[in-house]
Amino acid sequence: MSNEHYLIVSYFVVGFVSLCLGLAAYSVLRRPFAAIAEAAGGLRGAVLKRTLALSLALAAVLGFLSVSYLDCNKGYDEIVKDRSYMNQINREQLQQAGNWIAFAVLAWGFIVVILLAVWRRKKQQEGSLE
Amino acid sequence: MGPHGFAVLASFVIAVLLLILVDRLLRPGLCGLLEDVTGLPPATEFYLRTFLLVIVLVVLATVLGAQHADLKDGAHFMEYVWSVATGLQDMFQNLMIVLLVYAALITVLMASLRRKP
Repeated sequence: MSNEHYLIVSYFVVGFVSLCLGLAAYSVLRRPFAAIAEAAGGLRGAVLKRTLALSLALAAVLGFLSVSYLDCNKGYDEIVKDRSYMNQINREQLQQAGNWIAFAVLAWGFIVVILLAVWRRKKQQEGSLE
Repeated sequence: MGPHGFAVLASFVIAVLLLILVDRLLRPGLCGLLEDVTGLPPATEFYLRTFLLVIVLVVLATVLGAQHADLKDGAHFMEYVWSVATGLQDMFQNLMIVLLVYAALITVLMASLRRKP
């Protein structure tokens, strides 16, 4: 495989792997999050679930896109010649995707605090009505 | 496998051991605390999964991103140690930041869900 082919294939493979990483994170959190969203938001829980999926996928893609091949003042020809530079950039793209997903997951942790507070208030109101 | 591969493999093994240690140390206490504070089993599960996911992602991302550019063919043993140590410094730094943010998250959770007498 020529270096140019390697550059093209590795770029899209790493992009796809980053997206899969985001979706894998979503699948880990999906079930408990759905139960919380349903308890707190009722029918609106489905919207929150979709938002979680979208935000984790976007975070992964954002991390991938945040690393550019052209940052080190290298031209296209120099990049194509240097396969170790391509590997380094691929690893950095995966690293950033992982970091952004972790950041998004922590942010969702704070949102779940709000959902739990809503659920607690709802439960207290139901208790006082009974 | 080149010198870079050895350094990445060594960092990966240390990262996995570190993850197991952190998880074993913190999970039982965290589980009890979350069950007590939230009173909703899916919420406990969500926060435990969040914890594991975040530390795994941050630590493995750091292992992937470590450059080990200083290692050349025929490098001495201590050069490997120094290169891995440089990678570990970033790993510990990121792990510490994540644990602090997670501690802040749990504190907010406790403050907002505390039961009124």
